[in-house]
Amino acid sequence: MLMLKLLQAAASGVVTGCIYAMIALSVVIIYKATEIVNFAGGELVMVGAWLGLLLVGYFGLPRPVMLLAVPVVLFVLGAAFDRLALGRIARRRPSRRLEHATLVVATIGLSNLLKGAVRGIPYTQEVRRLPPLIGGAPIFVGDVVLERQDLAIVALAAVVMLALWAFFRYTLPGKALRATSQNARAAALVGIPVAGMRMSVWGLAASLSGLAGVMLAPKLLLTPDMGDVVTLAFAAAIIGGFTSLPGCVVGGAILGIMQNLVGTFIAPQAIAVTPFFVIMLVLLLRPQGLFGDTVGVRRV
Amino acid sequence: MLLSPLLAWVVPEYLLYIGNVLMMDAMLALGLDVLLGWSGQFAFAHIAFFGIGIYGTALLDMRAGVPFLLGMPLSALLAAAIGFVIALAAIRLRDVYLALATFAFALSMQWLIRTWDSLTGGPDGLRIAAPALFGIVVGTDRRAFVPMAMLLASMLAAMLHLTRSVLGRSLAAIRDSEHAAAASGIDVRRSKIAAFTISAFCAGVAGGSYTLFGSFIHPDDLGIWQLVQVLTMIVVGGSGSIGGVLLGVGLIGVLPELLRLAPAQWLVWQELAYGLILMLTVMFLPLGLRSVLRRNLRTTVPPRTRRGTPTMEHTAP
Amino acid sequence: MTALFSIRDLGMRFGGLLALDRFAMDVAPGSIHALIGPNGAGKSTVFNCVSRFCTPFAGDIVFDGRSLLAEPPHRIVRLGIARTFQNVELLDRMTVLENVLVGLTSHVPRYIDFLPGARRIAAERHAVRQAEETLDALGLLDWRHATAGTLDFGRQKVLDLARALASRPRLLLLDEPAAGLRNREIHQLDRLLVDLARQRGITIILVEHVMQLVMSVADRVTVLNFGHRITEGPPEAVRGHPAVVEAYLGRDAHA
Repeated sequence: MLMLKLLQAAASGVVTGCIYAMIALSVVIIYKATEIVNFAGGELVMVGAWLGLLLVGYFGLPRPVMLLAVPVVLFVLGAAFDRLALGRIARRRPSRRLEHATLVVATIGLSNLLKGAVRGIPYTQEVRRLPPLIGGAPIFVGDVVLERQDLAIVALAAVVMLALWAFFRYTLPGKALRATSQNARAAALVGIPVAGMRMSVWGLAASLSGLAGVMLAPKLLLTPDMGDVVTLAFAAAIIGGFTSLPGCVVGGAILGIMQNLVGTFIAPQAIAVTPFFVIMLVLLLRPQGLFGDTVGVRRV
Repeated sequence: MLLSPLLAWVVPEYLLYIGNVLMMDAMLALGLDVLLGWSGQFAFAHIAFFGIGIYGTALLDMRAGVPFLLGMPLSALLAAAIGFVIALAAIRLRDVYLALATFAFALSMQWLIRTWDSLTGGPDGLRIAAPALFGIVVGTDRRAFVPMAMLLASMLAAMLHLTRSVLGRSLAAIRDSEHAAAASGIDVRRSKIAAFTISAFCAGVAGGSYTLFGSFIHPDDLGIWQLVQVLTMIVVGGSGSIGGVLLGVGLIGVLPELLRLAPAQWLVWQELAYGLILMLTVMFLPLGLRSVLRRNLRTTVPPRTRRGTPTMEHTAP
Repeated sequence: MTALFSIRDLGMRFGGLLALDRFAMDVAPGSIHALIGPNGAGKSTVFNCVSRFCTPFAGDIVFDGRSLLAEPPHRIVRLGIARTFQNVELLDRMTVLENVLVGLTSHVPRYIDFLPGARRIAAERHAVRQAEETLDALGLLDWRHATAGTLDFGRQKVLDLARALASRPRLLLLDEPAAGLRNREIHQLDRLLVDLARQRGITIILVEHVMQLVMSVADRVTVLNFGHRITEGPPEAVRGHPAVVEAYLGRDAHA
């Protein structure tokens, strides 16, 4: 019985972990490229989820179209934010340190802007849920119950993450992005358009968040506050070391499983606080995470 | 400040309420600015320290009979002590981690208040009993106004003192260039920990002051959204200067009250408005409204010459 | 000749890149010692190791018989070593006077932080007077209330130097003080450096690309490339060294 509960918790954990991992990836690629923690990451997820619901539930578009449209729209949103707000701030620099705080504040502004905008749309004033991506009877593996939709989520996440990995590894734009995030000045010297690269990173990150939102939407009630899920992504990213992409994936899985175990074996109320404790504990004991390099520790 | 006793008897109760809220906001914002505007660090824990101030003062008074004049400083010291410990742990890490660690701390503190219902009333909120000052029960906006003004005045005096102290100058230096500061003999780590501790103390005082006129507190009032409101005040007014912060508090602090006068359906757009104000300000006025006002008041070059020495170009001594 | 300051077999690595490889130099008291080499040779890394912003994996840095590697960054200036920065690290939002007051940090007694009394005011007045003297000596006194970020580039460089000099150092590390200056300003800098060394006995280590300045003021020159010391000697000797001509002076010397 205990074993079954454990396995079931682990299975559900992997599913939610996949979604956390995607949001974490979105946060981490922005951090790697620009050294900004994107506090609007959760709101991009929320916008993705609502957009998906709007396209399917209100406009009645087929799901595959929605799955393509959401990342595209969010790409534009993310790139526009970088171009209009961040680029502008980065160009004028009253002082280097102040600039960093200002950029973080800008993402907090975006977070409230998106939340407020969604709250203001009449369609969102009723709590809704996106219908499952795939219906059908659950599948049994031994005694562990697996929802078809969960399998679809894991599969989709795996495809997206593999595609992302291949993109960074094998394509020219992907390599240019990596070069820019490692050394912007050197990248500029070899002719990579750095500003454009930053914009693409924001666009890419926003698409990832949007897709995560679409995957999260059938599992959660949709509210303008569902962006709070970003805390889980932060925790996943920190477990992984905050600069490591594979670290995000492992961190997401660890966190998802941990939450389910805490919910099953400790107390349901404790689920909510798990990510906060994870963040604080990891930062206290092993700030570089499981995979991160030692850059976590400051020089001065 | 001298006018405050007079105002307290003449002005209608509702305006006094706004005045009290603004004074509390000012204390909260001044504290956050020590961290953000002076030392250039970003931290979310401020709202948690505010909560410690409120719940600490109220519960000490209600459960243990500790009077406000003792309970409020005690709560503020508790906030400062916790702030010190967090800073000690987070300061050796990069800025990002300070933001993330304090983000997690703020949310777990909110969770703790909501979950520990036997002490805090949990999700039902806490009805705050009116504290007494020198045997007089305060509790109303009219009676709280003068003590609030005195609290704010002392905090302002302390802040002015701080800006002129070695610590204040060190923090400003760290904000502008950590390398130049360290190379000039400033202990960067220690100064940042001091800033964090002072900032937490101010938040604790602001929280304690709320019990003077507030009668109810709910864990939902201590979230990231409330922090964003304080942040907006600082950014809009101009971080790193006491005048700028007060300006921002005056402008942004009255927004919720103005919105209350507006038709009810407008309230939905409040969050959007804050987000927009925040973003537009950092985009177009990185130094806040203060910089616009100052541009006209003070020209930096050519300089003022106090002794009337003519401007000469000589580099060698 | 006993060295005031010596670097012994310093090794510093950034990731896989060996930035300094068993680098050594000795600096005689009261001398002006130039450290030259092409961009990326490791000159600023040497300074950053002395400032304790970087920690080398091998070697030692000794000042006045004491190893610096055990000291935290803010203690370095207390020991008598001040520095300027390559791209000017000013406190842009503070006034010129405040910049110099920050430079005086190591000389301001700590009690003035807490006691709001006559002693604090007296100490602050004293500090302001000292700062104004430094500004006066460098011709910046009239700008003392200007915001540092609004100064023109030449004056920003002078202010960077003023901040460093305010701490009354025994050893001064100057990172490309002449970069971006006009000819006339370089001449003034030349006189200033000689004066600091000869009149006030300040030992100077000078990282510089402007060869005209190096050849005119330096008592000794160390040439660095790829983290190695190529050669060291008096300016005339170094100028003719074939490795130097090839590695560094090749373009500049005949330009």
